Amino acid sequence: MADLKALYEAILTGDRQAAVSLTQQALDEGVDPQLLINEAMIPAMNEAGRRFECEEYFVPELLLAARAMKGALELIRPLLSRTGAKPIGRVVIGTVKGDLHDIGKNLVASMLEGGGFEVIDLGADVPAEKFVEAVREKQPDLVCMSALLTVTMPAMKTTIEALKAAGLRDRVKIMVGGAPVTEEYARQIGADGYAENASRAVIAAKQLLAA
Amino acid sequence: MNLKLIACEILYREICFTVARALHRVDVEFLPKGLHDLGAQRMRSDIQAAIDRVPADHYEAILIGYGLCGNGLAGVQARSLPLVIPRVHDCIGLFFGDRRRYWEYFQDHPGTYFKTTGWIERGTGLDQLGERAVLSRHGFGVSREELARRYGEDNAAYLAEVLSSYSRNYTRLAFIEMGVEPDDRFERTVAEEARERGLSFEKIHGSLRLFVKLVNGEWDPDEFLVVPPGHRIVARYDEAIMDVEPSS
Repeated sequence: MADLKALYEAILTGDRQAAVSLTQQALDEGVDPQLLINEAMIPAMNEAGRRFECEEYFVPELLLAARAMKGALELIRPLLSRTGAKPIGRVVIGTVKGDLHDIGKNLVASMLEGGGFEVIDLGADVPAEKFVEAVREKQPDLVCMSALLTVTMPAMKTTIEALKAAGLRDRVKIMVGGAPVTEEYARQIGADGYAENASRAVIAAKQLLAA
Repeated sequence: MNLKLIACEILYREICFTVARALHRVDVEFLPKGLHDLGAQRMRSDIQAAIDRVPADHYEAILIGYGLCGNGLAGVQARSLPLVIPRVHDCIGLFFGDRRRYWEYFQDHPGTYFKTTGWIERGTGLDQLGERAVLSRHGFGVSREELARRYGEDNAAYLAEVLSSYSRNYTRLAFIEMGVEPDDRFERTVAEEARERGLSFEKIHGSLRLFVKLVNGEWDPDEFLVVPPGHRIVARYDEAIMDVEPSS
């Protein structure tokens, strides 16, 4: 019998080894992978997000939970794609031009992967043209942009304008974030979404794609 | 005029130097460096608290030795005294002496980490902040050994990699010489660090221009924002950097 509770705990506490071996064990026993995701993994990530919100968890705990989740998902993904199940969405993510700060962006990328998204990470200091090219070639559902400096925030606007000029704006949802970025700014520049932190980014991304 | 200056301690030497030669009487209060790391909300409330401690009947204006600083100054209010703040994104704009010169440099050299006397002698960590515990729990300024103790060796290797990734994005270390240094000791420290980290080193000639104008009351509207009583600072994401709006 698959130990869903143990898998839940392993992901919540960021024990990647345990998460991977418990997942393998369950799959060997013929447990439905979707059940593992719905009954253990997603609840564990939701709980990690809740703990982060109320400051019981901090950045490292969140990173480790997402890493454990990702390890378990790597075993499950091939099985899911065999049954025709797809990732819940494809995301292109990057820190905007001129800005080299990527801890927040990496955290959001890990959380999105842990949340079942396929993530294409363009890195830091990403010019608008590179976002445009990635949207054209990878056909993501969502574009996420990060900035840590008020100096570089306007590059988010430039990138949205470049997507418009390329005729690609309406094919994707756009979400922005980073310490100085506000919901009001997101609205001003015509982004579709904003999240205050990495845990909320996953919730916001799911809502955007459901809309 | 009697002026009060509330400033980040990162500007210590530059401010002492310019206040000593100011045309007006300027009282200075320094706040701990690194407030921006606490997030905009906490930074705003710490600065507002310092402003609200200033006795209104002693001064004609409160000078603010900060920039917009990651929106940490957005929302800061002038009570009964006007506030005067330089239109810069952060202290690097102040050190360059001209926000346009900084912007040009920034665009041409995005991978640059800047150092000045304050950034060298006032600690590399966040020791001055009472919230050191919270920042350390987020993994900032925590050694590899400490991460291993907290999270185990395998996890520590991963966390160290992720949490330090930003520093690998830098290609250049720049020392901004402000003309307040006693000799070349600060410059040598930065050049040495650049060598150790495999970064290129550059010396930039900074300027005290904005500091001088601030303490001398030369607040032309292109370079300084004057916040009248009953108004607050709002961020503008254009060349003006910030503006004012009524508080209520």
